[in-house]
Amino acid sequence: MAYSELIKNFNKVRDYMRDFYVYGFKSRDDYTKKSARSYDDEKRRIESWLGDYMEFHQTADGKNVFLSIDSRVTRHNPLYKAWKTKSFTDGDITLHFIIMDILSDGQELSLVDIAFQVDAYLAMFDHARVFDVSTIRKKLNEYVKEGLMVSRKSGKMMLYRRTEEFEMPDMDILDFFSETAPCGVIGSFLKDKTNDTADHFAFKHHYITGAMDSEVLCTILEAIHEKRNITVEMINRKKDRITETNVVPLRVMISVQSGRQYIMAYAQYFKRITAYRLDNIVTVKNGEIADRFDELKDKLNEMQQHMWGVATDSRSGNRMEHIEFTVQYDDGEQHIPRRLEREKRIGKVEHIDEHTSRFSADVYDASELIPWVRTFICRITDISISNEALETQFKDDIQAMYEMYGLKGGDDHAVS
Amino acid sequence: MLFHEIYGTYFQTVSRILTEAVEHPLTPGEINRIIQNYAFEESSLSITESLGAEHWQLLKDDGTTILKNKPTIPLTMLQKRWLNAISHDPRVRLFTDHPIVFPDVEPLFFPEDIYVFDKYSDGDPYEDAEYIRNFRLILDAIKHQYPIQISITNRRGKRVTTKTIPEYLEYSEKDDKFRLIGTGGKLGNTINLGRIISCEKCEDKQDTKLSKRNRPHPRTIIFELVDDRNALERVLMHFAHFEKQVEKIDDRKYQVTIHYDKEDETEILIRVLSFGPMIRVMKPTAFINLIKDRLSSQKSCGL
Repeated sequence: MAYSELIKNFNKVRDYMRDFYVYGFKSRDDYTKKSARSYDDEKRRIESWLGDYMEFHQTADGKNVFLSIDSRVTRHNPLYKAWKTKSFTDGDITLHFIIMDILSDGQELSLVDIAFQVDAYLAMFDHARVFDVSTIRKKLNEYVKEGLMVSRKSGKMMLYRRTEEFEMPDMDILDFFSETAPCGVIGSFLKDKTNDTADHFAFKHHYITGAMDSEVLCTILEAIHEKRNITVEMINRKKDRITETNVVPLRVMISVQSGRQYIMAYAQYFKRITAYRLDNIVTVKNGEIADRFDELKDKLNEMQQHMWGVATDSRSGNRMEHIEFTVQYDDGEQHIPRRLEREKRIGKVEHIDEHTSRFSADVYDASELIPWVRTFICRITDISISNEALETQFKDDIQAMYEMYGLKGGDDHAVS
Repeated sequence: MLFHEIYGTYFQTVSRILTEAVEHPLTPGEINRIIQNYAFEESSLSITESLGAEHWQLLKDDGTTILKNKPTIPLTMLQKRWLNAISHDPRVRLFTDHPIVFPDVEPLFFPEDIYVFDKYSDGDPYEDAEYIRNFRLILDAIKHQYPIQISITNRRGKRVTTKTIPEYLEYSEKDDKFRLIGTGGKLGNTINLGRIISCEKCEDKQDTKLSKRNRPHPRTIIFELVDDRNALERVLMHFAHFEKQVEKIDDRKYQVTIHYDKEDETEILIRVLSFGPMIRVMKPTAFINLIKDRLSSQKSCGL
């Protein structure tokens, strides 16, 4: 099949874009184990959509392609472009514009009347296309489903009209929420309808990778809203294996410090609530109404009192792990106790004296806190974790860092 | 359906071509200009061919269209559901008292369906009337480029007043705060909206003498990453929002180059530390010394 900029299936390009953007170190050989042509086509497409951000790096293994995007400078998520590349047939686009034009003044017409007028429009061409009535009916029903049209039965006849036109929301609202709200790509679709190029916002700490999972997220949000079961196909990238699971999705959990998105869902098979990463979900299908949805959601609300991130079980096998650590600070470092207060998600902070504070919490998995605890390196006077192996690992890591930067042994305060 | 051609760049571009063609016959040059402005790098050939060869029977050879009206398209159900969902977000009130709501349409989600588990808890007060007033005034000043006078409480609790011409608002999801970036007076380029105690339009533009905007101070660090405990993925996801390059050194080692601004150095420092021994900073020496300082202080804490 000839190369086209447009694609039918999003999943293939989804993986390439993530690799180019997040990783960006793979050479052509790393990608072409399955199909060299597929790699070349996907790379060419992405370059066509996002050429301004595509960069190349020559290594001994060949040329590496990567997407280099500073999301603080780029005010509109460029990855949304990928969602605007769905392929279509000649008939799809021709019928779209003609039908929308026929019904543009709000009148209600039958299928036969619409088909008659479509023929009249196309008669302007020497070699006019002919659409059979069933093709036009299919297109009209598709648009009813998408909400562009409404249909109504009058006797034996189905009548169609366009849905009501509404004023567009303020461009600043679309500009802001298309970058910050879940499924922001929908806001980007809305912005495309206007000629306004409002550009009054920039975004710091802005993770844009979630854009690639917009369709998965959208389907899951619909299921949560309707309290439905879903069937998800999950990929294990390391084992390159796909498994199918039936779960009750309860809540979407988003990290604004890594850009990862998860669903907390109840898996009947395991009889527990657990987290599933959205970028590992290949497909989602909505199922039946979940009878226990409210009960399970209450359960999740309780569990969240002990969740630092998304883990709902410990690596040690204990139901709950206790962690506490103490930090010290000088007179001019009052931002430290403030940091503890604003950055703690659960647990409690005790201000022991003017220069000492202690954080403590009971959590499902204390290992989730370790990266945060490490941000206080230079002032941690004590740490205690009920998971002893984790405590040892934390202390060993600190020792490894001393060694790494030449601070092992000798003068404790030596800085070269 | 989210991945649908009605939202596609080709449909949008053809819509813009037809919008002009309804008014007057289009030359190939005019068609190309629209394609170059709105479509992708390689779209010119495919769209021109498809329109010209009458695959898409919408535009005639003479550059006129068979459409009678400028093409428009109603909002889809998905778009309405998303708009209803954001109408429940407290931040929408910063923009309007009356967000657009479609009463017969279910929102795509409610706020409680989503939980951001690692944003800081001292975010801006989006429901505070004074904050909303300040936000709207600043946004208006950005749009219409007029100077404003702002008073804030500084870190020492003192009131400080400055004039600025606002350029844009910067939002951090992690901090859950807005910052005003402008051509600053004595407070510099950046003012946290949450610190503002008063904000007024400067009526006398002549009286507004403003200093130039501080230049950015680009900085680079290079670190070596060892892929233990899934560090490769965790680190690259964590630093994904920066401009960066990654190079594979061997099966477990990678070299990562991150570009950042000097004003964020302390933040970068603690973010690097958060990965423990999985990251070893190689350059620059000044940054390595910052790490050594912290580790040295830590060592003196006796842990």
